[in-house]
Amino acid sequence: MNVSLNWLGSHLDLSGKSIKEIDDLLTFAGVEVEGITATGITSEKIVVAQIIEALPHPHADRLKVTQVDAGEGTLRQIVCGAQNYQVGDKVPCALPGAELGGGFTIGVTVMRKVESRGMLCSATELGLPPGVDGLMILPADAEVGMPVKRLFDSDVMLELEVTPNRPDLLSHRGMARELAALLKTPLSEMDVATGETASADAGVIQLAAPDACPFYSAVRITGVTVGPSPPWLVARLESIGLRPINNIVDVTNFVLHELGQPLHAFDAAKLSGGLVVRHAHDGESFLALDESEHRLTPEDLLISDASGAALALAGVMGGLHSGVTPATTEILLESAYFTPHGIRRTSRRTALSSDSSYRFERGVDPSSVLTASAVAVKLILETAGGIAQTPTEIAGMPPVLTRPVTLDARKLDQLMGGSIDLAAAGEILTRLGLTERADGAWDVPSFRADLHRHIDLVEEVARVHGLAKVPSRFLGAFVPASPVDAAYDADMVMRRRLAALGLYECQTIKLIAENQMIDALPLRALQLGDVIRVKLPLSEDHSVMRPSLVPGLVASAARNVRQQTKSLSLFEMGRAFRNAGGGKAKDQESETLALLISGSITPAGWNQTERAADLYDLKGVIAALVPNRTIRFMPKERDGFALGCDVKADDQTIGVCARLQPARERDLNFTSPVFVAELDLTKLRKFLTGIEHVADLPQFPGSSRDAAMDLPLATPNATIEDIIAKCGEPLLVSSECFDVFTDPTGEKLAVDRKSVAYHFHYRAAERTLKADDVDAAHQKVLAALTSKLGVKFR
Amino acid sequence: MKEQIPAIQTAALAQIAAAADERMLEDARVAVLGKKGHLTRVAAGIKEVPPQDKAAVGQLLHAARSAITAALDEKQRVLRDLSDRAALAGIDVTLPARSMPLGALHPLTLIRDEAIGILRRMGFALADGPEIEDEFHCFDALNTPADHPARNEKDTFYFDSGKLLRTHTSSVQIRTMESQVPPIRIIAPGSAYRRDEIDATHLSVFNQLEGLYVGTDVSLPDLKGTLEYFLHELFGTTTEVRFRPHFFPFTEPSFEIDVKLQIKGQAPRWIEVAGCGMVDPAVFEAINRSRKDQAFDPERVTGFAFGMGLDRLAMIRWGIKDIRLLIENDVRFLKQFA
Repeated sequence: MNVSLNWLGSHLDLSGKSIKEIDDLLTFAGVEVEGITATGITSEKIVVAQIIEALPHPHADRLKVTQVDAGEGTLRQIVCGAQNYQVGDKVPCALPGAELGGGFTIGVTVMRKVESRGMLCSATELGLPPGVDGLMILPADAEVGMPVKRLFDSDVMLELEVTPNRPDLLSHRGMARELAALLKTPLSEMDVATGETASADAGVIQLAAPDACPFYSAVRITGVTVGPSPPWLVARLESIGLRPINNIVDVTNFVLHELGQPLHAFDAAKLSGGLVVRHAHDGESFLALDESEHRLTPEDLLISDASGAALALAGVMGGLHSGVTPATTEILLESAYFTPHGIRRTSRRTALSSDSSYRFERGVDPSSVLTASAVAVKLILETAGGIAQTPTEIAGMPPVLTRPVTLDARKLDQLMGGSIDLAAAGEILTRLGLTERADGAWDVPSFRADLHRHIDLVEEVARVHGLAKVPSRFLGAFVPASPVDAAYDADMVMRRRLAALGLYECQTIKLIAENQMIDALPLRALQLGDVIRVKLPLSEDHSVMRPSLVPGLVASAARNVRQQTKSLSLFEMGRAFRNAGGGKAKDQESETLALLISGSITPAGWNQTERAADLYDLKGVIAALVPNRTIRFMPKERDGFALGCDVKADDQTIGVCARLQPARERDLNFTSPVFVAELDLTKLRKFLTGIEHVADLPQFPGSSRDAAMDLPLATPNATIEDIIAKCGEPLLVSSECFDVFTDPTGEKLAVDRKSVAYHFHYRAAERTLKADDVDAAHQKVLAALTSKLGVKFR
Repeated sequence: MKEQIPAIQTAALAQIAAAADERMLEDARVAVLGKKGHLTRVAAGIKEVPPQDKAAVGQLLHAARSAITAALDEKQRVLRDLSDRAALAGIDVTLPARSMPLGALHPLTLIRDEAIGILRRMGFALADGPEIEDEFHCFDALNTPADHPARNEKDTFYFDSGKLLRTHTSSVQIRTMESQVPPIRIIAPGSAYRRDEIDATHLSVFNQLEGLYVGTDVSLPDLKGTLEYFLHELFGTTTEVRFRPHFFPFTEPSFEIDVKLQIKGQAPRWIEVAGCGMVDPAVFEAINRSRKDQAFDPERVTGFAFGMGLDRLAMIRWGIKDIRLLIENDVRFLKQFA
């Protein structure tokens, strides 16, 4: 909301208050000051000065050294470059400390070895329309020493954010009332004699929806002349950024911003019969002032005439054809109370909002309905002439929205930490317009319908008292760590481990595009109906709750590739979403870790050749993440991916991994294979609990044997591992593959064969093995391999 | 024989001295001390030396062998020293390092971990809740009326099921109070969603940190002390902190918190970092209805809650000008946090 300082000044005395003070005052009252725009001259330190003497500058041809009388009793020496003045002229003088536009502050300076104690100003330097070249010459009768701002119109517009609980602040009178309470200064009296009222008969005003509109008033004014508003009214509206329209509309707008009560003026000639305040018929159409057309529902409230024609969407916007035009001579001025939630619903549903609906949906003061009407009638008569019919026609009663509230001394003391006593708290409430009753409860003024509970009064006390005066207490209860704590710690261990392994942590948007679903690699393959889509996505790019973190990582990687990044090692931790209810909404949020590795894993250097990441790098990262477990990739096809595998740690499936289809890699301009994995964080966390006992170190040396096997090319290494594991040789403590040889030329080895070489380590816990023991054990292992696989040993 | 020994010794020492490498030195050793070496052969002849001369010849032999062995050892030391020096001289210490893997945590993780670290030291435990929420936990129980602007389909993501993406982590307050009894002292980091177009200062999915302390004598001094302490730990003990009255449906009184910070090249200014307030009694009443007990009797129980935007804290901490940098994952950006 925009507020003019001059306008506020018509309600209370703000002289001597700087913008900064008012800014602070509002800020600590809970009103955020979002912008300050000054027009005209605002500084008090720019004063009228008379030039008494102007001598040439001893060291500069184009400068003069002047002595000016700024009303300070002594003369002030100022160096000046202008040429357009005479000695004896009166000019604006910025004294040290004055702020000019652009945050430029005047100080005492030395110009070419001559001291200059201020600055004589041109019109442009003061932010006024440019006039003559050089200094601005002020009228000869201007009083020396007087702030120049008094000679010109100036104002400050404040852009304020009023919180939704304070509709009473949505007007200049309301804001002034608050400032007066905070400043402990009186609010100016307002001369408003509300005229006579009489209950209208149903032919004049018919309240057909008293729930939505409990109180309605209308004044008929005949013989008005629609035309431009007088300058004072134009200035008021322009001071808060409003565009003047005509005297009638301008008066209603003025009163809205003056008192916070929205009004509406109908052209009486366009009405047939009296006014009917009724709910809309289902599907009834309404053509608004802004030429938008709306289909209404029975929830919407209309002002119509006796013929049923819709004149206005109550409290929201007038109709296109019922408003005041230059030809209007007779008006019907509406002032009413509409209940907030109805207006809110209509405004939201029709996407129509106005200064009126903004106030009605937050709640206006029911007691201002007639006051505002009286003020507006008076101003219309002044600016547009005419005769107002009396009495004012009313229907219904202003609702009473407030009731007495008690301030509990014990609770106040507890909550405020004893920083304010009941009397001081009462003084604050009194300033805010509340009155203490004989029974100790507080009567709440009609404009503060937000105060209806004890805690609401405490809030007022706390707000005005200020948290600065409340002591700080550094205490707290002891509480046990939660399972979430344990999960968080485990996740941080994994994050740090992954970073140490060279991976960069990513953070992607959890809403992804439908076309990114192709990259989804969820722990369990998606079934029809598993994907969760938001109802009204902002764009197609953010319409699906990610069922997997891989699409986000792939998009991030593709983006990096476009930036010529050659090495991609990325991970992200977070939730993946799916509907596990098979059509019924049973949303499942799984904590997931995704990995992506692609491109140069060893960069080219003077002592190393470049190497691109492969599947075994990905496996290595997973193995390092859960050390001391056997990580195995078990092939399992995944739609849309190559090399799809289940990832197993020991015997437990902990996730999936794959390579993007080469075609997809090409589509995304990857020049290296892209390997991805998605792992179940809840399972990974369990591997991070550490060990319970250390193992004893071997006391006796072991022995190794190597063996190279000739196998069909298609035999997976896992088969060899399984046979070795199952042969149950007690002396075999470990085995590992150390070479795989194939020969695509067929010269050294048939094309469909491979040679796989293994180290075997043998050891006994209680003795040093003899060569014969080792050989016997080794033969048993080899025999198992021979019998199960038919391998030939080379 | 007496004459032969000094000659052999002289020749051997000369050959040793002339050896240019370990191989030549070994040749010299074999030539004199090997199985068929000159000295070995002479020594074999000691049997024929007359008994009265044996001792003298023996001494000569021993002296020659000692001298030659010493010369061999010394020469070997010198040669190895030379070759060690040559090997080391070839190393250019100014060549670049072998590249080691370099990864980094995301700035959001860093700031979140820092904030969590401080609050845990202050005795808060972690809590969480679902991101796909129902209206009760996201709005109703948080004293947000049905026609509140935040509940609009324009501002909040809804699903056909009627559920929604939580608009704040405050729903975790409700989840926690439903399942635990006072004293409750929790923090809940997590994602929240608003139907905002993504631009330099907005994300439709952003990150918050929620806090809640409920007990029998929790007051404004507790709220103030806790948040002042936290912000001093996060931004430095001399940082000015101020509480501005504000409005949230689920707290009363409510405040927004500003800290005075100097961003490089700018004058210090107040920057909003968090919202907070005393839990509104209406929230406790909603919890009691949901729990079907009086564990959170507002006559007995008070509490405060706070929430802050972690993305914003990261932007403030590192002077990040465009919030989208936090979700684009440009490695050139992420590398700076390594």
